[in-house]
Amino acid sequence: MGISPNRLRRRIALGCEGSANKLGIGVIAHEDGGEAVVLSNVRHTFVSPPGTGFLPKDTARHHRAFFVRVAKQALADARVSVADVDCVCYTRGPGMGGPLSSVAIAARTLALLWGKELVGVNHCVGHIEMGRAITGAENPVVLYVSGGNTQVIAYAEQRYRIFGEALDIAVGNCLDRFARTLEISNDPAPGYNIEQLAKKGGRVLLDLPYTVKGMDCSFSGILARADELAALMKAGGVGPDGEPITAADLCFSLQETIFAMLVEITERAMAHVGSKQALIVGGVGCNERLQEMMGGMAAERGGSVYATDERFCIDNGIMIAHAGLLAYETGFRTPLEDSTCTQRFRTDEVFVKWRR
Amino acid sequence: MELERLLFEQLHIDNVPPTYHVHAALFRDVTNAKFLHEQLLARNSGFEYAFVDATAIFSRTQLLSAIFRALTGLINGRLATPNVHSEIVLSLSPNNNIADAYRRFGITPGLTQDIIVVKTWGHLSENVAGKPVRLTDDEISKTTDWTKVCKYYKLNDLPVVDAEKDPVARRVMLERLAIMSMALRGV
Amino acid sequence: MAASETTQFAPPQVLTYDPAAAPPLLISQGAEGRLYKTTHVQRDRPCVLKYRPPKPYRHPILDARLTKARITSEAKVLERCYRAGVRVPAVYALDLVSGWMMIEWIEGMTVRQGINDWLGERPEIPPSPEDLPDDAPLIDAMKRIGAAVGDLHRTGVVHGDLTTSNMMLRPQKNSQSSGQPEVGDGPKALEGDVVLIDFGLATQSVSDEDRAVDLYVLERAFASTHPRAERLFVNVLEAYRGAFKKASSVLTKLEDVRMRGRKRSMLG
Repeated sequence: MGISPNRLRRRIALGCEGSANKLGIGVIAHEDGGEAVVLSNVRHTFVSPPGTGFLPKDTARHHRAFFVRVAKQALADARVSVADVDCVCYTRGPGMGGPLSSVAIAARTLALLWGKELVGVNHCVGHIEMGRAITGAENPVVLYVSGGNTQVIAYAEQRYRIFGEALDIAVGNCLDRFARTLEISNDPAPGYNIEQLAKKGGRVLLDLPYTVKGMDCSFSGILARADELAALMKAGGVGPDGEPITAADLCFSLQETIFAMLVEITERAMAHVGSKQALIVGGVGCNERLQEMMGGMAAERGGSVYATDERFCIDNGIMIAHAGLLAYETGFRTPLEDSTCTQRFRTDEVFVKWRR
Repeated sequence: MELERLLFEQLHIDNVPPTYHVHAALFRDVTNAKFLHEQLLARNSGFEYAFVDATAIFSRTQLLSAIFRALTGLINGRLATPNVHSEIVLSLSPNNNIADAYRRFGITPGLTQDIIVVKTWGHLSENVAGKPVRLTDDEISKTTDWTKVCKYYKLNDLPVVDAEKDPVARRVMLERLAIMSMALRGV
Repeated sequence: MAASETTQFAPPQVLTYDPAAAPPLLISQGAEGRLYKTTHVQRDRPCVLKYRPPKPYRHPILDARLTKARITSEAKVLERCYRAGVRVPAVYALDLVSGWMMIEWIEGMTVRQGINDWLGERPEIPPSPEDLPDDAPLIDAMKRIGAAVGDLHRTGVVHGDLTTSNMMLRPQKNSQSSGQPEVGDGPKALEGDVVLIDFGLATQSVSDEDRAVDLYVLERAFASTHPRAERLFVNVLEAYRGAFKKASSVLTKLEDVRMRGRKRSMLG
């Protein structure tokens, strides 16, 4: 991986991520040969109480409060000095405004303080490049699934093109909100706790809407129906087999339905572009059931699935450092006066100069 | 037995397991429709046939399509009626009303004179009192009651049919429309 | 299934019954399903069998439900179109349990191939202005495409995946009148009726928005597949305009859809 035009020496970047409730700072090195080496990857997550989501204001406050601590830890873990760092990378978007700008200001401060170049990074491109680097998938169809995004992406002519996406809420948002309905713990993550509950289900598959349109899909109707079923459960309702509905049944049915949709749109994109590799990135990509289903589909097509573990698929600073450094190596810089952040920033807006 | 073999033609139907044998014959001037109907009602096991009113049939393909659908149901273990023979009669119908299908495509005591007999699996019989003829499209079309067919398959007042002036093309179109209604029954 | 055989698909059971029949011919395999050429009840009735194999990764109940719903929806759309006189394949038979549908075999080549063959015979730049090739056959084909899509939309169906690969050019049957024997190399390029195929993503809709998106998808597909003929695409839209009453408001909507492109705003 790491195709770069001039490999003169080892280059090091520090990346700062805070587009949602995770504050992540990491240090990466691109070696002379081009390979990426993770030197540190530190994360601190803002966890809200069960039944609630994370609000922008509280999350921004969390990121401000922990930034210095996390940054120091990242540098210490990496065993590099400030002098070794070539550039400071930060998430320009997309994401929540408050948390994004807290981290952008902090990154700018570091750059000024240390006299380093700044590189603004698209969060989605960060996930994709990190996924490619870790798994070795060369030219996969990417399923990017997180609390804020659901996209099926393939690379063509210097851009990551969006072939399909969620038309309403993101898949992770659907899972998070359903966790709130069930008042499941948000620690370590609502999606993780849904996954654990789903493993206890499987007795019945409850009927939920299945909404795929070409390579796009939507989740709000499914969430509404799942919420209705949860209300039915609380009222002592029974499933199709006459047994009381349980939270495990609900989580199982929800996962089976929405993951089948995600695998289907990914498969359609793979057929469309003629790729046999599927790469899953984003927080929802940690889910083992999703990975298993995607693996089954890819194997049937004579290919395979590539996924990363929670260190890399959950938002982190290292992916921002890596994607930022790839851009930096092509000469890309973000001047101080342009070092803003934005809640809306489409994956296909980024000119991917580092790939052919 | 020799006579039976002459009367009943063994039908070849594509994409059906070779273990399924289907025989059929067309009888004219049948005089014992009432008797045959009674045997069906009595579930007489010696009379396991599909008795089809030939006036509701316009082509071999139509008949074969219905048999194919019935056999598909048999293979899947999903028959909507007691056996594959009654299923053939139902399979001619564009709707799920079984009684309606029997009335329209099966035989009616005292009325039906031209009967196509279909038998899957097994022996033939000479229980039909009538004059056997070859089961060809020409022979079938001699007794086709198009008023009936168009009513059953809702083929009246279709501009696309009216616009087709070539009689051959028009027939092909009607046949496809009817077969499509049969295929889509219940979906 | 052994790893080495993963891409070697077994045909659906219905095509394995007849030992005397030729091995089923796999025409194409997409994410939607696999297409085989076979026959419906009689050897002289060629048909396409569209098979939606079970997806092992999917919960079996969900899988059966989806397969059934999709075959049903596609068959209903085809019936609706056929009854309304839109040129589409007729449905011959279907099996919701096994996941297949047999539809009429359409003779001829795809519009994509027809256009490419035709363009392929022409020099990119004419040697002199008087050698400027005659676009009339292509323009005429474009008009037939526009009329076909217009007919479809008038019927209350949007295709969902309009491309020149999903349209056939079916040679017109020479009514065996006193016509002279066919001279030369058979039917000319780009002649024939435009028949729309592959309704796997079709839906029933009469909204301007859905119809406009249908046209937009075709427009983009056309531009990427036949860049040399892109300038003639207006002929498709022109013929579409004349196909039914609400066509002009769809074309107005198409302008919006073009402007929007896929620039749908995204919240992080």
